[in-house]
Amino acid sequence: MIALAPIAKRFGRGLFAIWAVVTLSFFLHAVLPSDPARIAAGPQARPQDVAAIREEMGLDRGVLARYGIFLGRLVHVSSETPPESGRGKGPHASCKALGPLHFDLGKSYQQRRGVLTVLAERLPRTMMLAIVALLFQLLFGVTLGSWAAKNRGTLLSRAFMSGSLLGVSLPTFVLGVILQYVFAHRLGLLPLDGYGNTWPEHLKAVILPGLTLGIYGAAYYARLTRDEVEGELKSDYVRTARAKGASPARALVVHALRNALLPISTAAALDLGALVGGAIVTESVFRWPGIGSLGISALLDRDGPVLMGTVLVTAAAVVLSNMLADATYGALDPRTRN
Amino acid sequence: MRSTVALASTLLLLGCSSELPAPLPLAHPDDPTPRRGGILQTATFGDIRSLDPANLGDGLAPQLVQLLYAGLVDYDRDGNIVPDLAERFELDPSGTRYRFFLRHGVRFHDGEELTAEDVRRSFRRSLARKTPNAAKSFYFTIQGAEDYANGKADDIAGLKVDDTYIVSFQLKEPDATFLPVLSLQAVRPVCRSAGEAFSADFFPCGAGPFKLKSWLPGERVSLVRHDGYFRPGLPYLDGIEFTIGVSMLAQRLKFQSGALDLFRDILQPDLLRYRKDPRWKPYGAYDPASQMAGEGMNVEMAPFDNVELRRAVSSAIDREQYRLVKPTMLHALTQPVPQGVRGHNPKLVCQKYDYEAALEHMRRAGYAYDPKAKTGGYPRTIPYYAYPAGITEYTSQVLAQQLARIGIRLDLRLVSYAAWLAITHRRGQAAFSYQGWKSDYSDPSNFTETLFHSSAINDEDSNNPSFYANPKLDAMLDAAHKEMDGPKRAGMYDAIQQFICDEAPWAFTYSVSFYNVWQPYVRGYKPHPMWQNEVKETWLDRPGAGRGDPASRRGGHGREALLSPARSLPRDP
Repeated sequence: MIALAPIAKRFGRGLFAIWAVVTLSFFLHAVLPSDPARIAAGPQARPQDVAAIREEMGLDRGVLARYGIFLGRLVHVSSETPPESGRGKGPHASCKALGPLHFDLGKSYQQRRGVLTVLAERLPRTMMLAIVALLFQLLFGVTLGSWAAKNRGTLLSRAFMSGSLLGVSLPTFVLGVILQYVFAHRLGLLPLDGYGNTWPEHLKAVILPGLTLGIYGAAYYARLTRDEVEGELKSDYVRTARAKGASPARALVVHALRNALLPISTAAALDLGALVGGAIVTESVFRWPGIGSLGISALLDRDGPVLMGTVLVTAAAVVLSNMLADATYGALDPRTRN
Repeated sequence: MRSTVALASTLLLLGCSSELPAPLPLAHPDDPTPRRGGILQTATFGDIRSLDPANLGDGLAPQLVQLLYAGLVDYDRDGNIVPDLAERFELDPSGTRYRFFLRHGVRFHDGEELTAEDVRRSFRRSLARKTPNAAKSFYFTIQGAEDYANGKADDIAGLKVDDTYIVSFQLKEPDATFLPVLSLQAVRPVCRSAGEAFSADFFPCGAGPFKLKSWLPGERVSLVRHDGYFRPGLPYLDGIEFTIGVSMLAQRLKFQSGALDLFRDILQPDLLRYRKDPRWKPYGAYDPASQMAGEGMNVEMAPFDNVELRRAVSSAIDREQYRLVKPTMLHALTQPVPQGVRGHNPKLVCQKYDYEAALEHMRRAGYAYDPKAKTGGYPRTIPYYAYPAGITEYTSQVLAQQLARIGIRLDLRLVSYAAWLAITHRRGQAAFSYQGWKSDYSDPSNFTETLFHSSAINDEDSNNPSFYANPKLDAMLDAAHKEMDGPKRAGMYDAIQQFICDEAPWAFTYSVSFYNVWQPYVRGYKPHPMWQNEVKETWLDRPGAGRGDPASRRGGHGREALLSPARSLPRDP
């Protein structure tokens, strides 16, 4: 019971943060100088046709009334079984059910199907890209950073760290296009873009966008790891381990790197949250059907329900990743458990 | 975002590639006989929201919808309106009643026979009050259609089923635009499974040459041949695959590797090379220019309530300088109707660049400008609204430079597309803005009446963004709308265009056309005057291709997925 109280408190704070972000986004979107009905109708639609579509979308109501409807249907109870497709008619057509508990973010103005259905398609794809990207970031970054810490001052080390600066500076849309050109177009090893139809195709397709984000983020981890490991290598306990016969590699990996993992894992957990929110540019370059590109399209098309859905997912991802970071402290450093 | 990726792509490709690869060969160069089989691969950078003719809001869906659904009439390859589902039609002497005689034995994709009742049901479904159809008002010329659409009547009084295969339309008055409007897709017959009322879960089903196999929103649309299509032997293709959301660079790379057969979203440097290369020249052509742009002046707001100042703007613009912003796709335009639309008159030079005349108009407007001393002119800076679309970023700067030469200073405001739509089409918000129009149907009324008739004015979402109202012009437009005599009507529209040019609610600047490139083995293809990717009579003649099996000849990544392109430049985390 004692352990549950802080968790519940933290969870409550997280829920409040999500509610605040979503509410702020709702009202900001509502006051933008634009008209979702006009966007849905097309730029050449006549005024009477736009007005009819505005009414059909429920946009003829005031912003407070719309917010009330949004909150009211977000979580509600119903005995109806909603359709899988998220399309169709009826008040629960766009719901997702968990027993009698219904969740509903409404219907997309553009796609005319349930936002939760759209998010359910996109989220696993974004998670897949986020995890692969983070793995690449950590693999390259931690390896390079540890090596650079061990070999600090050598010409090669300086060259690698300067290279990492290039990695940070290179925008993902340039890096992505270079990788596409080399690995897909010239060498034909990997798909140029897209997501694929089968799992083997998905796995091949995720490599280039994952690598793009991986190289971009690895530079940061390389610098972080080098600085942290370098500090640890100067510590007494590493010197003691070496004096007791530990090999340089063991002293580096088992002793120094392990103690440097705390800030690295914190950064990784927070990055995971940000990546789940969507890597907008990379997703667009590689036609990766994830949350980021969905969100930016929704913003440009003024598709309010989808935008609220992506904001909700992003906010929840950041909150959960913060909790994950906290949890990793305890796992990695027993001193923080209490 | 798209433009940024395009820029990066251009820079990279200029460095990475030197020469275009040779066109892929065709199997039977000496045999013009069409062959059946094969799946045409093409792509677009945009997204498609709906394949229901009753709910078309984006610019890309029509190219697919016209393959899925056939209409009573359609445009032929020369741009003439011809009977399609109808075998023939009649217009009574009063000019207000059309009768369409349907072909017998036309089959929907689900095998049901199409009858006059299906035409009526599809009209009712498309115009119903709760249907999100953005083109309902196009059909208000039919008696009772407006009342039906507004929920004031249970039926469309002027639409009657006279016989199993005869349907008739009673119009309110003679209307020369009725057939062009009828050729649009919003009212094309849909299968009975669509029901009486619009529903978003309708699986697209019509009587067009292709039927829908699968649609992964934001990823890909696959069509297959409708074997029951009413034109014997057509289409030749087994199917078509549209990949959605593919960047221009990716399209080019895929085209070069043979993964795309036809593409039209071409980067300007590539377009120049394709046009210049003699090996590729026979396999490229422009769509007709059916889209135009201009500088819209709100006549209800100062200083454009002064006609002389509007004339000064119109005369100060050197349209050739606009064309040079993107010479591969822009054409200088001096009249409202663009070159690819019926009613364009190449002999008519409505508005033209004349610097001395512009200065004289400034003087008459009361804002004389001395170009040597650089004194005088309009004393305040005028806000000018545009959205970044790959061209307007540059043309707005050309405009600012040209108007500065007559003493008009602009404050260029590039806003998002959504904000531009809202601001510039709302009364009293924007005095000066970029404006454009794309042909809904090939008729001069679509570029004159739609944009400059006083009835097109609305406080919100005005189709007449310059808020220009003139009873004399209204009368001219109304008369031309009803005129059924072709040559006489053409003369009336020449006069209308001249009148609009002189009043200058817009300064017309350029029209736009897009280049298509296809591999030599794509045969029987040429850009259609109205529809993109019109491939009913196209066939594939690729060596070694298994009949109708694209997978066998493509290998690699026949999948693809995607999402709509982002159009700004956020940063990745």
